[in-house]
Amino acid sequence: MNHIKELLYKMADDLLILGHRNSEWTGLGPILEEDIAFSSMAQDKIGQSQTLFQLLHDLGEQEPDTVAFTRNANQFHNAIITELPNMDYAFSIMRHFLYDTADQLRFDMLANSSYEPLAKVARKVKGELKYHVFHANTWVKKLGNATEESHARMQTALNEIWDDALGLFEESTFEEQLIKEGVFVGEVELKNRWLAIISPILSDSMLTIPHESTWKPNIGGRVGKHTEHLQPLLDEMSEVFKIDPTAEW
Amino acid sequence: MIKSLDPRVTREQIDIDNQIAPLKDLDQWETYEVFHQKKRGDQHMHVGIVHAPNAEMALLFGKEQFGRRGVSVNIWVVRTADVFTSDYDDSDIFETVPEKQYREAAGYKVMEKINKYKKQNK
Amino acid sequence: MYGNAYIDPNEKPKSIIDGEDPIKLAEFEARIARGEKIEPKDWMPREYRKQLIRMIEQHAHSEIIGALPEGTWITRAPGFKRKLALMAKVQDEVGHAQLLYSAAETLGKSREAMINDLITGKSKYSNVFNYPAFTWADACIIAWLIDAGAIINQVANAKGSYGPYCRALDRICTEESFHLKYGHDNVVTLATGTPTQRKMVQEALNRWWPPIMHFFGPSDKISNHTEILMRWKVKMATNDDMRQQFLNMYVPKIWDLGLTVPDANLKKNEETGKWEYTEPDWDEFKRVINGDGPCNAERLAVRRMAEERGRWVREALHTPKSTYVVPLA
Ligand SMILES: [Fe+2]
Ligand SMILES: [Fe+2]
Repeated sequence: MNHIKELLYKMADDLLILGHRNSEWTGLGPILEEDIAFSSMAQDKIGQSQTLFQLLHDLGEQEPDTVAFTRNANQFHNAIITELPNMDYAFSIMRHFLYDTADQLRFDMLANSSYEPLAKVARKVKGELKYHVFHANTWVKKLGNATEESHARMQTALNEIWDDALGLFEESTFEEQLIKEGVFVGEVELKNRWLAIISPILSDSMLTIPHESTWKPNIGGRVGKHTEHLQPLLDEMSEVFKIDPTAEW
Repeated sequence: MIKSLDPRVTREQIDIDNQIAPLKDLDQWETYEVFHQKKRGDQHMHVGIVHAPNAEMALLFGKEQFGRRGVSVNIWVVRTADVFTSDYDDSDIFETVPEKQYREAAGYKVMEKINKYKKQNK
Repeated sequence: MYGNAYIDPNEKPKSIIDGEDPIKLAEFEARIARGEKIEPKDWMPREYRKQLIRMIEQHAHSEIIGALPEGTWITRAPGFKRKLALMAKVQDEVGHAQLLYSAAETLGKSREAMINDLITGKSKYSNVFNYPAFTWADACIIAWLIDAGAIINQVANAKGSYGPYCRALDRICTEESFHLKYGHDNVVTLATGTPTQRKMVQEALNRWWPPIMHFFGPSDKISNHTEILMRWKVKMATNDDMRQQFLNMYVPKIWDLGLTVPDANLKKNEETGKWEYTEPDWDEFKRVINGDGPCNAERLAVRRMAEERGRWVREALHTPKSTYVVPLA
């Protein structure tokens, strides 16, 4: 079961941490309507992570709240890209585009997983993810093609975040077993499909992916090696919960 | 710099006397009228407006502002400027003289004739 | 005072209907008296338009500024359930601002103009949001009792005469019932929880009681002006009536939890059926509404930051050839 737990942990942690980051925009977004849309998607992510933590609980791990609100950074399996601070809206939108496309593909592939509980979740969240990607694509295309400033901001964001995005596909030690048992088709396959989807959208948006010779996937997140940004995020997130982790809040 | 109770605000390093050039009109785009359908088979109904730069984004926004609690199956957005409306001052055009029974079901009373006919031919 | 008509005491009452066409005015008033709604393109007295814009705009500002004190705790809500609910609640408040700005726009003032007036301090918003949310429990008290106050006000205003405002309020009130339940659930959980939690919520109640008593504003001076606004169904209830309604509905619920309301004089007079209380400090109210509260400067600075940071996004997506027209409904 360790291979399944590892898969669930990294997915749940990605969703929790990015959902948390995106929720920081709530009430402070660039326009009211977008504020609402972005908040909905942050809620979707945190809700999905809770569902995955519940699957972990069913496999013998602790309660979702305990797991989410009491671990330290080195026990988190999220990819680096999800923990980085929000920066400007271009950065947040670019991360949302790169991550959510991968997320949709991952869940899409998991809809046929041999691990039925996860396959069920994947089918359940399909609609949410479809909206996320529709939202992301629309924004990336608009901002990439709009003003000089918006284009420059989007290109900068893409350059800055590219290696972190590649870190999403960090392979686990269980890769072979997951593939063999039909649980998940694996990170390499996911990454290839992801590249095939994002490339034309980025080029339609007049944005250039850094040259392949420069790619240095920023890995380590999956095995608990994080940037200096994650622990403060977790301290903040659990500040109230840790007043009394055994209390009902 | 503001040292706020809200960690999000503290991180932004905002000057309490920060200045901003006034927003210009249209800084926030034109408006779209949003219609939603509650369930298949229902008529679409007007639910409100969104500010959006184009129809596609109006749809993105309308879906969340008016449909985020799962109350819609379909939405339409129409540029406000493209809607041609009747005037409330002309509401009297909807008033019509009452002598138009010929187009109401209630305007046709056949039973009297039938009964009379039946009686006569008994 | 989310959406309570603020009447300027220095305004000359006789100017209100001066120069209005008497026939149109009579038709307008008859329509309202019949319980019909006024729609955006209808003829309306200048004062009606002016007061509605002021009131709906202030209400909208209160929603978007109101997202800040509770937003203080958005990254720190304890546990999944609270985290998700607080996000959804603050999101709703942003949505309310959107609905209300839209309603005000139908009267001819653009959203940008309203936001300009907000961030330059020209236009007001509800005073309560100039107070800080020190702890998680403050956010819980806000969600319960401030939203409760807002609901009393909004339910009254939803029966007003201006169609777009009423429609927005109907939608808002539906969402507010979630806020109220959410807030109550939070306060009950803390009040029935550990001694630490109980202490937190009592302290938060102590801090928030004075702003709550200020919430509906000082007693109305019954003037010619107020009387006309009530006849036009712009102002739907007096400040004192709403405050009484609030006390009647919520003080017993607070006492049920064994919490203490920090006003030794608070009691219901069984003969009159009215609540008696220590008169709130209206000088403080005036000071805060005029800018000198604990958080006024921060709230506006944060709003300016958000507008400034979003400006390039709005400019990027703005199509020069698009023309703004006032929304229909
Ligand atoms: Fe609200
Ligand atoms: Fe509310």
